[in-house]
Amino acid sequence: MQHIAERYTGASVRRSEDPRILTGSGRYVDDVRLPGMLHAAFVRSPVAHARITRIDVREAAKAPGVVLVLTGEELERSLVPGPGIAAMFSGGAPVPAFTTLATGKVRVVGDPVVLVVAESRYLAEDACELVEVDYEELPAVMTPQAARDPASPAIFEDLGSNVLVRSPVAVFGDVDGAFARADRIVRADLRQHRHQNAPMECRGVVCSFDPESGELTVHSATQGVHIVRTTLSTALGLPPEKVRVLAGDIGGSFGLKLGAYREDVACAAASRQLSRPVRWMEDRLENLTFSGQAREESFEVAAAVTNEGEILGLRVKMTIDTGAYPGMGTMLPELVKTMIPGPYKIGALSFEWTAVVTNKAAYVAYRGPWASETWVRERMVDLIAMELGMEPIQVRLRNVATRETPPRRMVTGRSLAGVTAKESLEAIASTVDLPSFRRLQAGAREHGRYLGLGMATYIEPAPGPLEGKGGGGIMGPEQIRLRLAEDGTVTLFTSQMPHGQSHQTTFAQIAADEFGVPIEQVRVVVGDSDLVPMGFGTGGSRAATMAGGASLHGARALKARVKEIASHLFEAGAEDIELSGGSVAVRGVPASAMSLAELARAARSPGRLPPSLAGDVEVTAAFDGGEGGWSGGSHAAIVEVDVETGQVRVERYVVAEDCGILINPAIVEGQVRGGVAQGIGAVLLERSVYDEETGQYLSSTFMDYVLATACEIPRIEIEHLETVPLDADVNFRGVGEGGMIIAPPTLCNAIEDALSPFGARVLEQHLPPARILELIGAIPAG
Amino acid sequence: MTCFDVELTVNGAPRRGSVEARRTLADFLREDLGLTGTHLGCEHGVCGACTVLVDGEPARSCLMLAVQARGADVRTVEGLAPDGEMNRLQEAMWDSHGFQCGFCTPGFLMQITALLAENPGPTEAEVREALSGNICRCTGYESIVNGVLLAADAAGSDE
Repeated sequence: MQHIAERYTGASVRRSEDPRILTGSGRYVDDVRLPGMLHAAFVRSPVAHARITRIDVREAAKAPGVVLVLTGEELERSLVPGPGIAAMFSGGAPVPAFTTLATGKVRVVGDPVVLVVAESRYLAEDACELVEVDYEELPAVMTPQAARDPASPAIFEDLGSNVLVRSPVAVFGDVDGAFARADRIVRADLRQHRHQNAPMECRGVVCSFDPESGELTVHSATQGVHIVRTTLSTALGLPPEKVRVLAGDIGGSFGLKLGAYREDVACAAASRQLSRPVRWMEDRLENLTFSGQAREESFEVAAAVTNEGEILGLRVKMTIDTGAYPGMGTMLPELVKTMIPGPYKIGALSFEWTAVVTNKAAYVAYRGPWASETWVRERMVDLIAMELGMEPIQVRLRNVATRETPPRRMVTGRSLAGVTAKESLEAIASTVDLPSFRRLQAGAREHGRYLGLGMATYIEPAPGPLEGKGGGGIMGPEQIRLRLAEDGTVTLFTSQMPHGQSHQTTFAQIAADEFGVPIEQVRVVVGDSDLVPMGFGTGGSRAATMAGGASLHGARALKARVKEIASHLFEAGAEDIELSGGSVAVRGVPASAMSLAELARAARSPGRLPPSLAGDVEVTAAFDGGEGGWSGGSHAAIVEVDVETGQVRVERYVVAEDCGILINPAIVEGQVRGGVAQGIGAVLLERSVYDEETGQYLSSTFMDYVLATACEIPRIEIEHLETVPLDADVNFRGVGEGGMIIAPPTLCNAIEDALSPFGARVLEQHLPPARILELIGAIPAG
Repeated sequence: MTCFDVELTVNGAPRRGSVEARRTLADFLREDLGLTGTHLGCEHGVCGACTVLVDGEPARSCLMLAVQARGADVRTVEGLAPDGEMNRLQEAMWDSHGFQCGFCTPGFLMQITALLAENPGPTEAEVREALSGNICRCTGYESIVNGVLLAADAAGSDE
């Protein structure tokens, strides 16, 4: 009998994913091989905005190995028109009409125009070269300013304008009163630059339609199989039960791989037409140019403050550049509005927003999509501190909500129950030893070295306190199914679709503890829409609380079912049944022990159990988030700026984070470090650049879109605060997005601090060397 | 198109194929030999996911043609644990929670294999320098660096 010495939850258990990943045995979508499989490639628009005046595919159709060439109009005949997934993430904003492959117009460089399917990718790309498309170019609308101009050509004619949404002004608290009482008004126009997910694995799909059964099987690199299934069944007019979506290992996503994209729909339709499997793997050029980009937002902010550093209120006007096709750009501003007070006692807020359409790639979700609320607020705090001549941490500590009963609320409504912003700020201040840093900084400046310290704090609704409303936010409760397999394995079916988050390890830890079996006896099944319960998938930092909680409650329910079955088999009371180490027995009668495998087999044997218990030993459970709770923390960065070259070196990076109870500390730390690394990259390196005249995309390779390497990312010191349990059972909170949310303001604050002798004010998030040199006046701005 | 015969050694075994001149080594390994452990992250030689060892030297299999590997001794990630037993580096990466999504992993493992062959006891700075041509989007690199140092330590303590 196996003995379980300790709890898995809370231990840095080695990942069950690693044996396959470390030996090259992972199964990514590009590794799927099906008999008769064909390969797709797309002819894409070389221009940003144009009418298509002619398409000639005759030469391409005759090219070697070519099986099918489809224009947008031809493809459309086999599809059901409609907005597809766009409506799901529009937040109620108008969704313009467009087709799966461009018809009539192209609206962004990389817009797919013609699909070519051939016997190999090489041959498909050869044939793409033979497709002739004539374009009548239109002026490219490349900035929000241009989009606002009524004279700009409407990118979507049915919208009639390039302004998609102008929100009403939302007012919380007494804004006019706050500004009237203020000693000072601190104003800033802040800009967040366009950058992008760039997972190491691009998008990809293998679609296989079986004409006999009428079923479409889709292998997809996705964050959630059910959304892909819904999107494809809708677009193809297939009953959902005729579409099965499978996903294996996913090479990262960070928000990009949500639902079925236009290319996926085209490949599914081609497979149905050809009755052969069709595979498309996005290449990096397509990925960087077209798949989606994020974060391009600007803000006009005014803060009403007292001379003592109290922030009385904020007035915020936000503009979001949603790119050409609908993504998530119109859903986010309302989240930014709700979250912008963060863990602060800011008593008044007015917020309005405008969303515009431009000839750029679609605005997509990227790790902490609403992150601008933290960037804007934490930047403003430092600008306020600069204005008042205070230490930024003093302003933060003066304004953050402390824990009290009843808990304070953000002025926008949500309870701040369990928030530990003050504790985490004090932790990082103590770790970096602020007074001694200031002495070091002063000494260094005398030698022409510019050190800076930045801090920032945030909270993340992962899921946030639910106050009896439950439901896990917009995505609903998390469902789960558990089965005791005939070999005694506890098999857990989840709609979560891990793409690096290690759910196959963490859910197994939770279920093993709750059910009482060794972790090796728990198997986590993901990525099959025929097997896993309906659910959104992985995103929004919901896995830890929602699916972790579902795992816990599901394991508890399965254990109760097993005891009930055992009590029938043993003819003993369920309360007298003991389950331990992979066996069930009547308490005090070790000889009665029956292995879980035997129990599962007995349950399936006809006649052994009453009908209500007979058959598979299986339970379903759903978890609505329980009491929920915020995730959050504070970060500090120490940087050195070389004022000769403009290079910024991150010398030290300190994190105090609170994601509740840790399931697996090493996995939590991996999420934190990975998020911080992306945030450092966003500030120092990454930017999705367009030529504003021509609309050409200039960051289309990894030589132009530069990602951080091991040489730019420092060691990251992490302290965990596991402080405030709110729920009786489930106090794990999401941690995937936080690092990416808070690292940019932390770093920007540090850089501004380093450059304070130059009087620099940092108003944008992207600070590559050339911009640093501009900020210190070494080279002319512009 | 004209095809060319290619004979080479892959993970210690003789392999052969007939390829167009333009076929990359990566596609030859993945498509023709079924060795899908080698991944393609950018196909323009920057990300390093496709790194394999060619005669012991790390090479970007996306930038090398299969015909250029004629007669070469090629090692891929599948060759690190031929009997299913993870080697010291793989064990160290497992212990260190080195990777997350696993897509960049084969390239890192091959690059590190080359590093440790040349320098069995690297400093952290040497490790970071040696890995500067491999991109990981998930981890922030610390866990990977830890894994390399742990593997080097384990090797050192065996001597």
